[in-house]
Amino acid sequence: MLELTGLTAGYHGGTVLHDLDLTVPAGSVHAIVGHNGAGKTTLVHTVAGFIRPSAGSVRLNGREMTGQPAHKVARAGIGLVPQGRRVFAGLTVAEHLRLSYRPPGRGDTSRPSRWTPERVLELLPRLGERRGNRGTDLSGGEQQMLALARALLGSPSVLLLDEPTEGLAPLLAKQVYELVGTLAEEGIAVLLVSPSPAQAAECARTVTVLTSGRVTLRVDGADARTDPTALHEALELTPVRTAAR
Amino acid sequence: MDLLDAHFVPAVDGVAYGLLLFVVAAGLSLAFGTAGVLNLSHGTLYAIGAYTGAELSDGTWGGLAVGLAAGTAAAAAAGAGLSAATIPLARRGHLAQALLTFGLALIGGNLLIEFFGADDLPVRVPEALDSSVTLLGHRYPAYRLCFILMAVLLAAFGTWVLTRTRVGAAVRASADDPQMLATTGHSPRAVHTGVLAAAGALAGAAGVLGAPIIGPGAGTADTVLMLSLVVVVLGGLRSLWMTLLAAIAVGEVQTLGVSLAPDLAPYLLFAAMAAVLILRSQFTEPATAGAHGGGDGGSDPVAWLRRRLSASFSGRRAATATAEKAVAEKAVADRREPVPSASGGPLRRLLSGGRDDGGLAARGRKAAPLLALLVLLIALPTLLDAYTLSLAGSALALGLLAISVAILTGYAGLPTLGQTAPFAVGAYATANLADAGWTAGPVQIVVAAIAAALFSLVTGPAVIRARGTTVLMITLAIGELASAAINQLKSLTGGADGLVGFPPTQALFGGEGMVEESEVYNYALAVAVISVVVTVLVLRSPAGKLLTGTRNAEARMRASGHPVGRYLLIAHIGAGALAGVGGSLMVTVQQYLSPADVGFEIAAFALLAAVIGGSTSVIGALLGAGLIVFTRDWVASSWPGHGPLLLGALFVAAVYLLPRGLAGLRLGSGPGGRGAAKADQLPPDHDSVPAGKVAP
Amino acid sequence: MTATTAPSTAPVLDLKNLTRRYGSLTAVDDVSLRLPSGARHAVIGPNGAGKTTLLNLIAGTDRPDHGTIALGGTDITRTATARRSGLGIARSFQQPSVIGELSVLDNIVLAGWRHHPLRRGAWWRPSRYRQHAESATRHLEAVGLADSAARPAADLSHGQRRMLDLAAALAGDPRLLLLDEPAAGLTDGDIGRLLTILGGLPSSVAIILVEHHVEVVAELAETVTVLAAGRVLITGPTKEALAHPEVRDAYHATAAGQIGADRDGAPEAAPDGVRDTAEARG
Repeated sequence: MLELTGLTAGYHGGTVLHDLDLTVPAGSVHAIVGHNGAGKTTLVHTVAGFIRPSAGSVRLNGREMTGQPAHKVARAGIGLVPQGRRVFAGLTVAEHLRLSYRPPGRGDTSRPSRWTPERVLELLPRLGERRGNRGTDLSGGEQQMLALARALLGSPSVLLLDEPTEGLAPLLAKQVYELVGTLAEEGIAVLLVSPSPAQAAECARTVTVLTSGRVTLRVDGADARTDPTALHEALELTPVRTAAR
Repeated sequence: MDLLDAHFVPAVDGVAYGLLLFVVAAGLSLAFGTAGVLNLSHGTLYAIGAYTGAELSDGTWGGLAVGLAAGTAAAAAAGAGLSAATIPLARRGHLAQALLTFGLALIGGNLLIEFFGADDLPVRVPEALDSSVTLLGHRYPAYRLCFILMAVLLAAFGTWVLTRTRVGAAVRASADDPQMLATTGHSPRAVHTGVLAAAGALAGAAGVLGAPIIGPGAGTADTVLMLSLVVVVLGGLRSLWMTLLAAIAVGEVQTLGVSLAPDLAPYLLFAAMAAVLILRSQFTEPATAGAHGGGDGGSDPVAWLRRRLSASFSGRRAATATAEKAVAEKAVADRREPVPSASGGPLRRLLSGGRDDGGLAARGRKAAPLLALLVLLIALPTLLDAYTLSLAGSALALGLLAISVAILTGYAGLPTLGQTAPFAVGAYATANLADAGWTAGPVQIVVAAIAAALFSLVTGPAVIRARGTTVLMITLAIGELASAAINQLKSLTGGADGLVGFPPTQALFGGEGMVEESEVYNYALAVAVISVVVTVLVLRSPAGKLLTGTRNAEARMRASGHPVGRYLLIAHIGAGALAGVGGSLMVTVQQYLSPADVGFEIAAFALLAAVIGGSTSVIGALLGAGLIVFTRDWVASSWPGHGPLLLGALFVAAVYLLPRGLAGLRLGSGPGGRGAAKADQLPPDHDSVPAGKVAP
Repeated sequence: MTATTAPSTAPVLDLKNLTRRYGSLTAVDDVSLRLPSGARHAVIGPNGAGKTTLLNLIAGTDRPDHGTIALGGTDITRTATARRSGLGIARSFQQPSVIGELSVLDNIVLAGWRHHPLRRGAWWRPSRYRQHAESATRHLEAVGLADSAARPAADLSHGQRRMLDLAAALAGDPRLLLLDEPAAGLTDGDIGRLLTILGGLPSSVAIILVEHHVEVVAELAETVTVLAAGRVLITGPTKEALAHPEVRDAYHATAAGQIGADRDGAPEAAPDGVRDTAEARG
């Protein structure tokens, strides 16, 4: 379970994220939606340990993670699939898998499941066919699979997905969302940043709307599916025309 | 066949030499390409290994083994220390790193001489290898053959680790994206430390094993650094095989080349390096131009090299410019940009160029410290003894060189290690003029300036197309080529002996030659003041804004129709002329001229003086040069033999204590400001001024 | 693959079969485009589709491997960036490009310098420089930055930098204006002002707009080119292009579920919500 309380963070003195509370129970998907600049990626980067929060805390299964460096956050069981995939350009798929494979310690019972390269390849067979190819030689979809594999090989209890369908064809995007559902069923807590409120509502148990770094709405995924009006209003998608005229 | 026969031994020597360089250069390029550290103390790491190996070598296998272990470990530890020292500088760019590592190299070199003595140490190889074997009908030292074998093994092992192991994958991943490496549970900091330790270990091992080839001595570190820089540049970091090829080529030039064509060999290396760099910067020019000063950082040659190291061009990773990223980038960009000169005392405003146009009163206030400095400089002849006064004169000459470097580095964005070349042109022109009887000061100054400007016009096109670290390398090559030319053109330069015994300069037409130190000093001061005033006026005119625009946002300037290349060329010529004037002054002050006065060390000092001064500050560069001459010649005279140590300490302190240089000093107005100005300006009644004292 | 607006005069811009490769990646693939004087044209498509590369080819910061570029009938394929600026091409940058150390006013003075009738001697004559500053002030007023004229450009907010970048592009009185995501990172109020400024430009100025924000595209552009993986998917009038089945299909996953997708028949999701069908070709 991932718990954020009073999280406040930003870059070099500027605050992007204000006093954010958020919980992702094990085995569920929590979706974040919001406009560009709302602080979605800042949120993900703060949880991943890239940014040190100026206030508030990040807890993983009750364990204090606030201010830990990124590699310790990763070792503790928080996996990240970053925006733009960011696979290693010069490493082959096989090297990615080898570098990322990090079985949890024997005493660590908090992990929902153990991932090995074999199991990852079973789930994502396409990567097996591309073992010898470098990161840059992969298509967008394959890079996305590789970024997911990289995160899974740490056997995470929490998975941070930052716009995982960015740049993917609709069919592939659908597969990614199905995959996210499967992983949550395994017991992983998924924090999903989604560009699309509809998709977020489709697969998430809870949807949080972020506006200028603050939570402006939190709704049940099921409610948002049946009646998206509240979500739509919170996102206020049409001010441009009125401003122009 | 005869030709081949006669040169067989040098050719095999070249292979051994090349493999030695490959091992050293591999460490340098590892540190540069994957840890982002431009390590100018890499040669010192080699020297650590070489000295340790020589000290422990007693002609037995055990001695060699102990030496290898100890030398490797010592150099690895030094590399790890370097990692700790450079991590805080990660955001400060490569000039800060260069300043730091150069300072550390000076300190390290001085300490090594302290411990092991100034003479070259004899190296004893194990007796079993201290013989010669017959190779294709030639006698050849067994040790060298054995060395070739060991170097091949070492290179193969390193390549295997880097390309085949998980550790190697982590290193390459870290070069590509350290943040993402962290998400796989590996500490990027540990990788950084590990890479620099490994680079140190490679240099150290090469030092121990290569001691019989490039032995431990006072010039070892410089030689090794220069040659491995050439190898890295020629090899291009693209692949280890290219580095190997480049290393062998350099080794052959150093051995076979010298035996075949002794006259050409000195030029060959640096000419090849310059050619490769210039060609490469032409190929990448469009992308560079597009990205410089506002794009995705593609203009940074290190970033470029890193990308090259990892893979071919990655166009797929399109930057998604979310506003969040924009905030972050803006914040980073803001940190890099100098704080506007609104706050702080008058000295600070003066040092940072004082770009705001205040009223008359404000101008008066701003000018006050400048006037105080001028008064102090004018009063120096009454305060100082003759020797110190001549040092002050040298400082003025070096100061003009430093200002010329600051114009290129700070204003034009072309960090240069080659301004000693136009400086030398001015100096040798003056000396030759004097020799020919043209002793009138104005004639010497004008001819020196014109000659240096012409020289810069010729070299300019090679310099202005590149950016960042590539410029450093191209200008380094130009400086070294000039040095080689100086050593060869004996009729004009006196070769290594230098020039001496030419008549003294006359301040004006007619009149007596200046012999009194105070006369010479006043002449130097007058020339320096005129040069500084002209420079400041030009830089503060709209022409200076054109340069600032080019440096800050080159893509914007081009898109607005500015012929950026022409501006940079004009700046390069102007800076060259100024350096020429400095060279002329130096000859007048010193009354002799040797190649060491215009060598790499002086080029480095000038760059460091400009950096210490704050890069975009004319007066800062002048003060920086003063501080360096003061430390090297004046403070060091009370602690003989420790000039490099003191200078190194000065550079290291400047990196950490003065992140914005002297121009960044936050000094209150009033007595504090003037006091510090004096501290910079070398008061004669102190034994030493610790560099830290000028920091707030 | 040609814009459908009737060419009454010589086209201000004529691209023929432009191709640009980086290694194995073809960023711009056989793109042809013809724009009449005063055209308002948008280029949309997923990230990595080659939009910025296309702008760079037109502006001259990048050179095509194949194809030709003509401005007002003159071939400029091999012309340097600075010369193209003199011929009337101006641009804004994806990351706003400002001279941080200089004042806002000086930024515009430098931007307009080479286009000013009194450019000779301005580098050393203060009176000439003052005349430049007067025209620069007018451009600053147009984008609402006149009050900040004396501030260093480094102090500006992101939105203000965008406006300054735009003012710098306009300072040369261009006949072809290239805008690279001018609305990215802007607040809604800023976007409104941006639309007002661009809408108020003389009709002789042709605009090529690269923009993710479909609202801005729909508001400003008369014609649209959709790029995917470097190739032109479709070129046509804005509404037709956005309603084209292939485009709708490419946008389907987000557009279908997108709030307000039915307004004006234009999907409101930024096109990068779902990208590059072609990029996923394995």
